[in-house]
Amino acid sequence: MLKRALAIVVILIIGYWLAQGLSQVPFGQDKMLVGKYYLEHVKEQTGAVNAVTAVVVNYRGFDTLGEVTVLFIASTGVGALLWRKKRKRTAKTEGSVVLTTGSKLLFPFIMLFGMYIFIHGHLTPGGGFPGGATIATAFLLMYMAFTIYEIPHKGFEVTEGFAGMGYVVVGLIGLAIGGYFLFDWIWQTWHLGTSNIGRLFSGGFIPVIYTIIGIKVGTELSGIIDNMLKEEVKE
Amino acid sequence: MSVLAWIGEFLVLFGTIFYFLSTLGLIRMPDVYNRMQTATKSATLGSLGVIVGTGLWAVGKGLSIAWLTKAIVIGVFLLLTNPISAHALIRGAYKSGIPLWEGSVVDKYREHLEKKASEKKEVEEGEE
Repeated sequence: MLKRALAIVVILIIGYWLAQGLSQVPFGQDKMLVGKYYLEHVKEQTGAVNAVTAVVVNYRGFDTLGEVTVLFIASTGVGALLWRKKRKRTAKTEGSVVLTTGSKLLFPFIMLFGMYIFIHGHLTPGGGFPGGATIATAFLLMYMAFTIYEIPHKGFEVTEGFAGMGYVVVGLIGLAIGGYFLFDWIWQTWHLGTSNIGRLFSGGFIPVIYTIIGIKVGTELSGIIDNMLKEEVKE
Repeated sequence: MSVLAWIGEFLVLFGTIFYFLSTLGLIRMPDVYNRMQTATKSATLGSLGVIVGTGLWAVGKGLSIAWLTKAIVIGVFLLLTNPISAHALIRGAYKSGIPLWEGSVVDKYREHLEKKASEKKEVEEGEE
């Protein structure tokens, strides 16, 4: 009781302190410094209509590379923590017929939608990470609906690694052509799609990189699900 | 053009009324199964009304046809997935032993399960 009251008081004090700090920030006013530059130059410099993905992939590509690395480390960490020789799915209750049939029918549509999200990252909200997460959801659905479903483990891990390498290779090609890492060579050097901004074949290397990231995130999260659902089998 | 907008507005109103009824059902109904009944049915219908109505409304107001297309795609997806999720939830609730409302009289599923279990027992005893 005393502990809880003390915690509430401390949290209230912290909240008041934060609110004091934030009350000085004006709301709804034009406070853009760097943001203005992004909004004004995003179309001619990157070819993307979606300014967020342009910032994330083009202007600050290193952050995305870091995020992808974080996800990769999380996946390998889960794999390392739960590593056992004999691990199997031990689920016993089969889902009802309605559920299994429904998931079987929905699976391709969810995959399609995930791919739609990451291919259209430069045009619509979304990008590689939401698209990959959607694809992983499709695999989670299959795992939940069927007791024996299992992804091809080896192939998924190899795909994940190759996708991660693909991202770095795209960046390194930029280093070779333009002089710095993650230089947008498709847009800046080839001028591919400069005449049709706002259509599918534009946006420089954003769709390429987001396809790679989408594949990577999708396989990674599916691998984490696979690792966490398996249990040790006693002989 | 404005006829479409009127139909859309009417559908959105229709959908929100059904949303309201479904939340009312959540409060008013006695047990989990009855609550799921009201919540899923009227919320699905309400969502369909609101989503398709928004699409029609936007097209009627002169926005592009893409609004209606997307709205219909979302509506079909919702129409197909909502009953499955409700089915899975109800089944999970029954399997984990949540009791029916004390006023309910018939539980055919339990009778079926008991019959199956006793038949299985008889078979096992016969084998021995």
